[in-house]
Amino acid sequence: MNHCIQTEGLTKRYGKKTALKDFTLAIGQGGIHAIVGSNGAGKSTLFRILLGVTTATSGIARLLGEDSRDLSPGTRGRVGYVNEEHTLPLWMKAQQITDQQRSFYPGWNQSIYEQVIGYFDVDPGQKISGLSRGERAGLNLSMALAQSPDVLILDEPTLGLDVVARQSFLEALMFTETEANTTIIYCSHQMEEIERVADQLIIMEKGTLQNNSSPDAFVERISYWIGDFANGLPAKGALPGFLTSRTIDGQHHILVADQGEEFGQVLKNNGAKAVAKAPVNLERAVNAFLTKNHNTPDSRV
Amino acid sequence: MTGVTNLSIQIVTGDSRPIFKQIVDGIRMEVAKGSLPPGAKLPSVRGLAMQLMINANTVAKAYGELTALGLVEARQGLGLFVTEPRQLLSDEEQQKRLDAAVGAFINEVAYLSYDSEHIIKAVQDALTSLGGKAGKNSDEG
Repeated sequence: MNHCIQTEGLTKRYGKKTALKDFTLAIGQGGIHAIVGSNGAGKSTLFRILLGVTTATSGIARLLGEDSRDLSPGTRGRVGYVNEEHTLPLWMKAQQITDQQRSFYPGWNQSIYEQVIGYFDVDPGQKISGLSRGERAGLNLSMALAQSPDVLILDEPTLGLDVVARQSFLEALMFTETEANTTIIYCSHQMEEIERVADQLIIMEKGTLQNNSSPDAFVERISYWIGDFANGLPAKGALPGFLTSRTIDGQHHILVADQGEEFGQVLKNNGAKAVAKAPVNLERAVNAFLTKNHNTPDSRV
Repeated sequence: MTGVTNLSIQIVTGDSRPIFKQIVDGIRMEVAKGSLPPGAKLPSVRGLAMQLMINANTVAKAYGELTALGLVEARQGLGLFVTEPRQLLSDEEQQKRLDAAVGAFINEVAYLSYDSEHIIKAVQDALTSLGGKAGKNSDEG
């Protein structure tokens, strides 16, 4: 099978800090893949390595089947990238930038450009420095989609956008008719967006891969238990799949991964009197994963 | 001339039910209420995705589940239509689902201060407003 993104044992160290640790990931073609991770989880490092901007300490990274250390101009032309700052040359006019981009990309599709820019209020004669953040984001997305890329990487593209611009951005991203079966890599911290947008949910934590499945399948991995322990919560090691716990009104609220109904019995065996199971939503499930191993004032060490 | 029946279902993010399940439940309820009679045409996958502002694959998954449940059927090149009510589930499966639904319901009402007569009356009324049974009506597309 052809993967659009593939890494094997990818490791990147900056001095003493390990940004990516034996990171192995395969992303197939098509669909929207959301990548979630706390700040410093290694997302940006991963993109920088994939795009050939920086090299890994060890391991392999491939983009569209080509080694990221040696990407051909042809392959680079099939990749779109939109960053959170929506950086564009401030002194240029919108029209000048689109003319320039059109000449760079042989697969440029003007009708897609016009379709997408239609969601945003951008006057072609306007200078970039005069555009709002939302308009810059729109211009950036229009150009990226018009390139008809095989892979489009969006790094927190809706950060700092107001409600209206955010909605336009998501609509344009999801509903623009393109012939290309573009694979979209979507980095975001907005759980609401991810729930609406993502086919696949990739979770990174401290430079490692924690999940790569549909969001629904991921939520099913997590369960939420409430237990009444007379003698306090047992040691973490006694609870399989333990992620996080909080104490609320003297009861312990515990999130665990990959445990079935029998976990209730595990809690009872560990001294819980009453045990109840509660439903969990995507945001809570993801947060439990991301805060695991991070100390919080009320988490149990 | 599209012939599509409007769907007034809503989805919310942050719910413990995944969005595709909310769509399945929503449409099932519309069918049970009669706002989607047999023969009614559902919105296209893309159309409902745009209406709800969600990924089209999520709608496709919900439609797949509704088809598997036998509530809707695809007509080649025309779209998805609500089917004539018929029971696809085995007796055993129906009993299982009824038990599960009753269990969840009891869980919800057990702590209320109503007596069982009051609760049964409320259930009776709700069932009556569905026409006594969850399947009724007739019409062809």
